[in-house]
Amino acid sequence: MSGVATRMRSIPVWEITLFLALVSLGFLIAAQVRSETPRVRYTSQERAPLIETAVGLQTQQKALQAQILDLRSRIASAEVATQGSSAIATQLNDALFQARLAAGLTALEGNGLVVQLEDAPQVSQAAGNADLLVTGRDVRTVVEELWLAGAEAVAVNDERVVATTSIIDIGGSLLVNSAYVAPPYQVVAVGPADMYTQLAASVSWIDFVASRAGQSGIRLAIAQPSSLIVPAYAGSVSIRYAQPPASAAPSANP
Amino acid sequence: MRNRRSQIAVAAVALVLGFLVVTQVRSQAGGTGLEDRSAQDLTLLVANLNTRNDQLRGEVADLGRQLDSIAAAQARGDTSAGQLRADLVHVRIWAGVDPAEGQGVRVMLRGPVTAAVIEDLVNELRNAGAEAIAVGGVRIVPATIAGGLPGSLSVENTPLSDPVEVDAIGNAATITGTLTRAGGLVAQEMATNDGLAIEVTPVDQLDVPATARDLVPRVAKPRL
Repeated sequence: MSGVATRMRSIPVWEITLFLALVSLGFLIAAQVRSETPRVRYTSQERAPLIETAVGLQTQQKALQAQILDLRSRIASAEVATQGSSAIATQLNDALFQARLAAGLTALEGNGLVVQLEDAPQVSQAAGNADLLVTGRDVRTVVEELWLAGAEAVAVNDERVVATTSIIDIGGSLLVNSAYVAPPYQVVAVGPADMYTQLAASVSWIDFVASRAGQSGIRLAIAQPSSLIVPAYAGSVSIRYAQPPASAAPSANP
Repeated sequence: MRNRRSQIAVAAVALVLGFLVVTQVRSQAGGTGLEDRSAQDLTLLVANLNTRNDQLRGEVADLGRQLDSIAAAQARGDTSAGQLRADLVHVRIWAGVDPAEGQGVRVMLRGPVTAAVIEDLVNELRNAGAEAIAVGGVRIVPATIAGGLPGSLSVENTPLSDPVEVDAIGNAATITGTLTRAGGLVAQEMATNDGLAIEVTPVDQLDVPATARDLVPRVAKPRL
């Protein structure tokens, strides 16, 4: 024992330092290699300003969405405040509240289900393995399966799915409600407590999982939080071409 | 001399270590998912983000005007029932709760039409700015999904006949252009579905019905 202790004491400090540094080096190299995403990386000079512009536009988008939600909330409060004693105004306000619920303009909370999709590990677009990447169609399939399972509201990476929502691939990116969403893609739904049971029993869901997760290897995970929030739609609801039929008048029941 | 060599070795390892630490931290912090996009893809993305932000600015301006109008009515001691009614009509049409009419396109699908073709078409119509869509006379809302096998397709338990008729209200020129451009949805679907024929016709006046679904949630609670 004393021999080992003597030998330990005889090791120079610099060797111990070098040993520790090399261990850290090995760890960092391994971490760096593992953190490389499966999608191919490009190195052209013009990309840096484009990424900077895209990030800036995304930041603006978030700020505009927050402004929209704030204005809608203020309008709803002002409408209620001005109704006074008018029975008609009260009735219209109630109908408007229901219509906003139906349209997805109100956040909802309830029993939740989250499906997360990620590209298959160690895949490169350059190697012609594009089918191993999560596509818009994959996300749309998950959204549809959640509706079929009884979901009452669905969102993809905080973008609420509403009547005008498109989920498309543009140049390797996924746009939901024309907003860029970055992987991993989280599709969240609120609805009845048996949503997962319904989903798991769906033949088309089983086929999708077998094909995309089983064969292609995209990563798919499901969580069942006891409660979650699906955010309100924070985009444009302007309509320029759709008009009410000439004879129509809004009814009280959405 | 030996001590000098050891110092150089430690310095070299420390240099590489520092570089790797910085690289790792930067790669963790820059998780926007944009690092792996080509310049062409990023240009497309920037164009889309610009368009979307313009729409959002328009919405902010509209909502600001609406709020001002309510405040003005409040100042006059008005109940603002007219404003409420207009808002209600607007939201109900947008949601699909009320029927709508207006210009748009009629798409006729003939041959081996699958549920996936219909889903792709509806998705592309929305992307092209369609404001109200009906498939086989059934209003499409978020949870409306086409199902079944070719020849026995249905939407909301309504069987779809051949040809399948899809009506979309919106800017007829924009929607037609988006669907029929080279490499667009019509070309893609016809190339990948043998025997499928898709015809897109701009129409001055279309009628799209209201949904039969109750869109108000029964289980989930509003979070105000």
